[in-house]
Amino acid sequence: MTAREVIRSLDAGLEERHVRSLLVHPVGMPRNRLLVLGSAIAAAVAAVVVIIVVAGSGSGPSTTTTTTTSQPGGGGTEARSTFAGVPQHDDTLGKASAPVTLTVFEDPQCPFCRQWNIDTLPTVVENYVRTGRIKIVYRGIVVIGPNSVAGLRAVYAAGQQNKLWNMVEALYERQGDENSGWITLGAIRSAAREVGAAPAKVITSADSKAVDAKLTQAANLARTYGVNGTPTFAIQKPLGAFVQLRVSSLDPGGFTSSLDQALR
Amino acid sequence: MRLRAPIAAACVVGIAIAAYLTYVHYAHTSPVCTTGGCEKVQRSKYAELGGLPVALLGLIAYVTLLGLAFARGMNAATAGVFVAAVGVAFSGYLLWAQLGPIDAICQWCLGNDVTIAVVAALYVVRLLTEESG
Repeated sequence: MTAREVIRSLDAGLEERHVRSLLVHPVGMPRNRLLVLGSAIAAAVAAVVVIIVVAGSGSGPSTTTTTTTSQPGGGGTEARSTFAGVPQHDDTLGKASAPVTLTVFEDPQCPFCRQWNIDTLPTVVENYVRTGRIKIVYRGIVVIGPNSVAGLRAVYAAGQQNKLWNMVEALYERQGDENSGWITLGAIRSAAREVGAAPAKVITSADSKAVDAKLTQAANLARTYGVNGTPTFAIQKPLGAFVQLRVSSLDPGGFTSSLDQALR
Repeated sequence: MRLRAPIAAACVVGIAIAAYLTYVHYAHTSPVCTTGGCEKVQRSKYAELGGLPVALLGLIAYVTLLGLAFARGMNAATAGVFVAAVGVAFSGYLLWAQLGPIDAICQWCLGNDVTIAVVAALYVVRLLTEESG
């Protein structure tokens, strides 16, 4: 066998071994890579579970609600103090003579509505409503789900006792997960009691034709102006058109800055 | 590294979707929507995690994945698989929320689901075929 034949036979052997190794382990896929892949995916799934559990339990409306309801009176006191001494009639908050109307479309299950009512509405009431610059009209629409209807009915029923805005805030203090069915008769009764409305009367009036009319009126208005999300704000100046208020933020600073611009 | 271009392209699509949804979140505007449920999803409590909009978290993830696409080596490929798998798992959670508690579907979220799945698949192939060293 010449040297060339020896080299050729060695080459053939190497090639055969290489082909065999490819059949067992495809190119570039040693077994430890599958281990790395599996570990990375398992770590990722574990990380997501931890993030959802930790972040979900550390923030969000439902947790805050649980905390609030476990301390009876806390939310109610805040609700009463926000509106104390401010005229309320039906769905309107503020003096009837206020030249500008701010209309707010809300859903009791909407977490951003809750944020606006709890964080920002007190500032708006203090600086714009008490001073007679604006009045605020509540328009309750169903955006989140069927359970919202029960909340809206209770809100408008409380409006018949001129406690609508207190009721709105008291329900937000109790807000649970969306469509979890947290708006129960018990929650409505306790909210009504807290804000000083007669609970039995709220529950009876909730199914009245007057409340039906309010819901229809708000839904029609929302349809007319293309409102399909909450909270949505609209401004109407004296003799002016109903104009949607675009807000830069729902926090007090951002909201009042947008409101100031609209009032100019 | 022949997967660099497709990974980068998919990441750019993901960045565009996440950036748009982040803008919509902070501008308090309504997303362009044909499924009718985008606004409901965008305004649900599932749209935020730890006080941050999930769209912003998605944007950060896609930018990270884009950066890793241009990095060489097994570590970059492994990190890419990890980040993409986090994205897929989180997208799955949000899809569950849309079909369940929120009861509304957002086309942008579905677009993101497909995009992150493609990115994850490409990173898996990259990890299994990346040259060692």
